[in-house]
Amino acid sequence: MNERQRNHIDLPLLTVVLLLMVLSLGVVYSASATWAYEKFGESERLLNSHLLKVVLGIGAIFAGMFIPYRVYRKFTKPVLIGAIVLLATTLVLGGETKGATRWLRLGGFGLQPSELAKFALLFHLCALIAVKGELVRDFKHGYVPMMIWVGAVVGLVMLQPNFSAGAMIAALSFILLFMSRARWSHLLGTAALAIPALAIYAVSAPYRMARIQSFLTGSSGGGHSYQLLQGLIGFANGGLFGVGPGESRQRDLFLPESYGDFVFSIVGEEYGLVGTLFFLFLFLVILLRGFKIARVAKDEFGQLLALAITSTIAFYALVNAGVAIGVLPTTGQPMPFVSYGGSSLLFSSFAVGVLLNISAYTDLHPRLSSTNSVADAEPAVGTPA
Amino acid sequence: MNEPVAATPDPARGFRARFLLLKFFFALFFLVIGGRLVMVQVLDAGKYRALAKKQYEQRFVLPALRGNLVDRNGSVLASNTMFVSFAADPKIVGDDARRVAKAFAQVFGKPGGFYLEKLGGPSGSDRRRFVWMERSVRPEMAKRVAAAHLPGIVMMNEPRRLYHYDHVGGALLGFTDLDHRGISGIELALNADLKGSNGSVTLQRDGLGRSRPSADYPRIEPVNGHDVDLTLDIEYQAVAEEELRRGLEINGADGGLAVLMNPRTGEILALAVAPGVNPNAPGAVDASRARIRAVTDIFEPGSTFKVVTAAAAYEHHLVQPEERFYAERGTMKVTIGRYTRLIKDTHEHDWLTFRESMEVSSNIVMAKVGKVVGPERLYDMARNLGFGVPTGIDIPGEVRGTLKRPSTWSGTTLQTMAYGYEVGVTPVQMLSAYGAVANGGVLVRPYVVRSVRTPSGDVVRSTSPTVIRRVMSVETAKRLTEAFEGVVERGTATDVRIPGVRIAGKTGTARKVIEGSYASGSYTASFVGFFPADDPQVVGVVMMDNPRTRGFYGGVTSGPIFRAIAERIVNSSSRISRSVMTQRDPHRDRVLSVPDVRSMQPEFARQMLASMGLNGRVFGDGAVIAKQIPEAGHPAEPGDVVSLVLGTALKPAANGLVAVPDVRGLSVRRAMTRLVVDEFDVDVRGSGIVRQQMPAAGTAAKAGASVTLVCEPRSMTTAVLY
Repeated sequence: MNERQRNHIDLPLLTVVLLLMVLSLGVVYSASATWAYEKFGESERLLNSHLLKVVLGIGAIFAGMFIPYRVYRKFTKPVLIGAIVLLATTLVLGGETKGATRWLRLGGFGLQPSELAKFALLFHLCALIAVKGELVRDFKHGYVPMMIWVGAVVGLVMLQPNFSAGAMIAALSFILLFMSRARWSHLLGTAALAIPALAIYAVSAPYRMARIQSFLTGSSGGGHSYQLLQGLIGFANGGLFGVGPGESRQRDLFLPESYGDFVFSIVGEEYGLVGTLFFLFLFLVILLRGFKIARVAKDEFGQLLALAITSTIAFYALVNAGVAIGVLPTTGQPMPFVSYGGSSLLFSSFAVGVLLNISAYTDLHPRLSSTNSVADAEPAVGTPA
Repeated sequence: MNEPVAATPDPARGFRARFLLLKFFFALFFLVIGGRLVMVQVLDAGKYRALAKKQYEQRFVLPALRGNLVDRNGSVLASNTMFVSFAADPKIVGDDARRVAKAFAQVFGKPGGFYLEKLGGPSGSDRRRFVWMERSVRPEMAKRVAAAHLPGIVMMNEPRRLYHYDHVGGALLGFTDLDHRGISGIELALNADLKGSNGSVTLQRDGLGRSRPSADYPRIEPVNGHDVDLTLDIEYQAVAEEELRRGLEINGADGGLAVLMNPRTGEILALAVAPGVNPNAPGAVDASRARIRAVTDIFEPGSTFKVVTAAAAYEHHLVQPEERFYAERGTMKVTIGRYTRLIKDTHEHDWLTFRESMEVSSNIVMAKVGKVVGPERLYDMARNLGFGVPTGIDIPGEVRGTLKRPSTWSGTTLQTMAYGYEVGVTPVQMLSAYGAVANGGVLVRPYVVRSVRTPSGDVVRSTSPTVIRRVMSVETAKRLTEAFEGVVERGTATDVRIPGVRIAGKTGTARKVIEGSYASGSYTASFVGFFPADDPQVVGVVMMDNPRTRGFYGGVTSGPIFRAIAERIVNSSSRISRSVMTQRDPHRDRVLSVPDVRSMQPEFARQMLASMGLNGRVFGDGAVIAKQIPEAGHPAEPGDVVSLVLGTALKPAANGLVAVPDVRGLSVRRAMTRLVVDEFDVDVRGSGIVRQQMPAAGTAAKAGASVTLVCEPRSMTTAVLY
């Protein structure tokens, strides 16, 4: 590992993420005020909790930013093993929230081990791929060992039972393996095996079946599920320009989970199409900056890590929006940086910090003292590869 | 790169290709989401906004309070009380489910698990947003729940109809459905007056169902329903129902009814139907019970219909009371053309005067008189007395009965109709026909609604007595009354006699028509009569379906019920006195009936008994008679001893002072009756039930002293017990 001089981090990325976090304060407050008032007697209850998590999230960004990303290569395996143990422990000990054992409570803080496991797995896959090089194209020595890790994490998460989180992790792992130039035949073979298996699993539990049914019938002209219908009403209320900050009607207990999984609907209601497209644009910026960083990363580990982090954040944002607007079945995945919820926010923030750290080792934004002095002024795209 | 991996021409190119694919995937994803947002937020927005409007704005009905039903003395029979219902939003209750369930369990005494179950248990993934916790609970109970400040619990007011006397008058008053619409009885007949008009308010609501008024829509105030004053006397009603029920039990009858009316005005004083209805719990009532059978059901009257024949005979001077008829020794065969009919009497008689034939109820003589009267005159009299046409009573469902025109009669109809067959009448038709006799020959329209008033007391409309027509001369009415008095004095209705009260009436027994033919062993037994005969105040009909245990004749089944009712009314009414009793010849009474002397002062009771030739022996301590042996109504011979047991510790105190009796809890009327016995002056404040009295019970007071009674309407006390 050759230590090189650090350049500037990618400021557009940091700016966009911080902007999302600041906007989330307003959105979460508005979305949760009625519920919190009804439940706790003070409408700021969830805002305060969210504010604390945003502050911690910003801390996590900076933590990720200052730790040289190459360090992780040495730790990914023990961390992943730890995460798997944690998942297994949660399965045995975890308290039930919404009918699923997804939380491990540690001294008052609820931690979602699946969030940790997700990033641990992705980080470890990056490290493996980087080590194995061309070996990833070998079935026995490259592909199978990686699939064992993926299978372990996805399997445990699904056992919680949290089908959608497991599916998300599987999909992200698939994206990563795809980008690692694993053989098409391996990938397609895995998909051919996994998709029917997942489908059977999906319909094995009544509540999953019901969700899927409600999604299918809903999109074919029948009635939507209550939650989705309320989500859509929220979007429609907003129209082009929205009803204005704090003016949401849907958050008055019509829309369940208005501050969590369906927060995007409140964005749509209060800020309109302009607001939702702006939020989508911010995630698009994250995606483009992340991909740019991946493209110019100085080593394969950094490149894969940047791809994994960027894909994860963009993928979650798109899936969350897709659920809220009714193009995907209800899953319960948060919108990174925007939804209320600690685990997602902290891990996503840390991951963005890592992405920023990777950017600092590229030539995207060279320091003034280095050879290319116009770097800071260059546009986000258009840098020669 | 050392491994001889085949066919990797350019790793960088492979990566770029896959990267492009990944970018394409995300681009597509962004486009789908963006496109869908445009669709939902702009293109299809109207559809969802319509749904939104529906759930945000709700028009709430402000229910009008239904009017009260009030009896002739101002006792409230039906009113409204606010009850409270509790609903919960289990989502808001959430983790507090246990606490909420516990609070409800403490107030309502059901197990906590019952409520926890409603709330979806400690954890429920598919919680509903609305569940009823408790419905229609009394406001006092509700306050205790409200005081606990439970999260996610919603309180709603619901008015509920309250019938203060439960089943008393239930069939006549009727009841309402859950939406406060009258569905039977007076509630149905006067629904338009009682219901008022609901107001409305449009509210903005949130997901909890909590609301605030919308400024966009005006609030429309409800207009409360009108109060309805009835001709009913709830005390008479209670007496009639109680005695009817007792009589039906004794006779093992299927059912029956008793209707009392003021013959001068047509005011219905009581209308009892058994089996009855408790409108406070109408759930189990089938439609046949809710029907007011006194006007909806027709029966073949039998001998009570002889009033028509006799009236026609007298009115046209065709028959004299002392005119003699051969009674054919109990059986007469009538053959006219191809029709043959056997007419039978219950007893064999040779010769009877017309008056006697009424007393013993000879069908044979009546058939003969019918022939004298002739079809047209018999039909006209029946029609004029109101048979075959509705009486016009203001009760829903009245039928006209059946009275065939002479042109459609068969050969024997004239004779059989003369003693009450081949006609169908309602009990109220029979009642008003006898009412006409009691009223000196003038038929009046029976009615139950005296007036309709606004809640503030302005009369909207009122009914005054309506004369339908003069049916017969005063002389005819007088002769009929004499004949009917004879029925009670010497004839088939001697069980109806009350010493000191002149009662006129007629018994009737008819086989029931079941599916078109006469059923053997199944009878309708009736008694119609009025009293006092010389100044009729009350005309009544008592009917019984299918009496079994004591025979089936009207005189021994329905008659005693009539007597019991009449006796209690006479005892409690100042209008009807026993003053005539001194004029009576004691030797004419071979059989006496023991009067009810309970709650009288012993001296007065002894006097009363003595005037009837009975000896009263007083036992025990107390101011009034608590118990008498034999009981009231028991037959007695002159000279018999009636033991009078004094009750309560209210001893007449020294130097003319009397202990004030305890009248708390009694109705005003009963309390006054009780106090007047001890010659107290009574000062009544309020109405209904006596709550407080001054001076207190047991206080020694001078006769003639004033006792103040503080009364409350029955509603409050009943509501508390409810």
